[in-house]
Amino acid sequence: MKFSILIASYLSKDTWKRWCEQPGSPLARWFVTALLVMVATVILVAFQLLERGLQERLARFGLDTLLVRRNVTPASVAFFRQGDGPDPLGVLSADGKKLRLRQLFVRGQTELQQDNLFVYSYPPQALPLLANMLSPDTSVICLSDALPAGMKMQVQIGDRKLFAKVARPQNWLRGLATDTILLVPQGWLQEEDELGWIETTVFQRRPGAPPMERIIAAVNTLSTLDNRPPPQIQSALPLVHELDELKRRRIEWEGLLAAMLGGAVALVYGAIAVLEFRQNLYVGALLRSFGSPPVLLFLKYLFENILLVNLAAILALTLTAMLHSAIFGGLGLPTDALNSSGGNPYTSAAVLSVFVWINAGALLSSLPVAIGLRQPVGEILS
Amino acid sequence: MKSINMRCLDVSFRYRRDRPWIIADFNYTFHPGVTLIKGASGCGKSTLLRLLAGFLKPARGQIVTPEGCAPANAEFQRRELGFVFQQLNLLPLATVQRNLALAASIAGLPGKAIAENSARWLGLLGLEPYLKRMPHSLSGGQQQRAAIARAMVKEPRVLLLDEPTSGLDDLNARVITRALKQFVTGNRICVISSHDSRLEHLADEVLDFNCFLPLERHLEALV
Repeated sequence: MKFSILIASYLSKDTWKRWCEQPGSPLARWFVTALLVMVATVILVAFQLLERGLQERLARFGLDTLLVRRNVTPASVAFFRQGDGPDPLGVLSADGKKLRLRQLFVRGQTELQQDNLFVYSYPPQALPLLANMLSPDTSVICLSDALPAGMKMQVQIGDRKLFAKVARPQNWLRGLATDTILLVPQGWLQEEDELGWIETTVFQRRPGAPPMERIIAAVNTLSTLDNRPPPQIQSALPLVHELDELKRRRIEWEGLLAAMLGGAVALVYGAIAVLEFRQNLYVGALLRSFGSPPVLLFLKYLFENILLVNLAAILALTLTAMLHSAIFGGLGLPTDALNSSGGNPYTSAAVLSVFVWINAGALLSSLPVAIGLRQPVGEILS
Repeated sequence: MKSINMRCLDVSFRYRRDRPWIIADFNYTFHPGVTLIKGASGCGKSTLLRLLAGFLKPARGQIVTPEGCAPANAEFQRRELGFVFQQLNLLPLATVQRNLALAASIAGLPGKAIAENSARWLGLLGLEPYLKRMPHSLSGGQQQRAAIARAMVKEPRVLLLDEPTSGLDDLNARVITRALKQFVTGNRICVISSHDSRLEHLADEVLDFNCFLPLERHLEALV
């Protein structure tokens, strides 16, 4: 045991001396590893941020929510019926809850700020679904995440001033708009109604109902049967597909990065380790001639490589985290990920797996040294 | 089986298969005491020492150490073998004292024995003033003496020296000879490969290795 410590001490001194004499060698290894790890980290974290963005959008919109929009112009039949005709999407009521609204061609403003809010009107049939948001004082609802819930305030729509009660939008209604919206009873804004509207149906599929793909197909079929142009349909399906595609790409990239990082580290470190091993062949052979186990010499190269790659990786990771806002802000990705409840992306399994790849590369790079150590001492010292 | 001798049984060696034999069917028993291997350059003296040390493996035949094992046995190399190379013997980043301590520790000597043995052999070889010196700051003779001290410090059963006095002045040669005389006692086997006549009086046996020299090299040697 004591001799192992003595040899290890000598070898570490030897390594340190070599580093001081030829700083280019450890610095080159450091730089290459740090650069590779930084690139890999940026790619992996970017994937995570994109995934989080999509997941947040999915959570906001809801997986089982469908938004169907159709323009009703003053020239159309529906306009003459003033929307009182049969609901073309009425059949969907069996598969979930449905809210039929009109998005009017007018914008509203709150008294708090000069904002520009979407205005929807709701029919009397929608009252059961909106009941918990209504107030006895007013039938105008201001759906907002930003304003305090329950607050009453004055809103202006065109030249009309109304009182509205602020309510939090239920999840299934979040698809209507990303910002604050106003819901007004139908018939209150006659003048605006005459301009036409966008017939907007929010549908939430109930559990056990046919899958969303089939419901979307049914909506399109209904439009075709009624000789109407296809409506604009908004659902979470494209987001789900996008998320699946992103995950597939991330897995591909992880594999590619693993091969790239491990391979590059193995090549660079292997070449330098072999070069230095040849330079230090004599010292190694001399130690072996005393009976020192070759495995100690191999471990020295392995330890040196592992130390360098891990230090470089920690540095690269820290640097990337410090420059997070600059890097990902520049790429147009959310930069508040470090404070996000989704966990720190820099300590995620995908990013930490970088350490596995580079250590595998370091191990591979030491194998030529292990082979070199099989050369007989007598041939080296001849 | 343990014995007091080191035996070479039909030992043959060549560095590569397409090269001629350097040593062919060599049989010899090294007895306790000093054996001096003489011969012209290239006759295989150093190669034989490396075979005896287990640093090379015989292509044919076998070498049996006094411990009854092959010389490549790590335990034999650690505890029972001391080897002095012709040059480049010291670890360049360790002081003379550290070089000795390292070799003795690898041999498994306790701290007290390391200190005693180091003091004894360094004293005999006149190296006490250079204990804390690094190898590069020593002269050639001092380096060679330090290397011999390092081989002796673990008091091995078998000591092999490859041209230990090559290129050294008479004073250094005398110091080394005196230390070797002190060392070779009891059942210790010391094999010296050298063509330095200053070591001949030390030898209990002389082994002429010119027999392995190719004919043309014999003629060259005669000329």
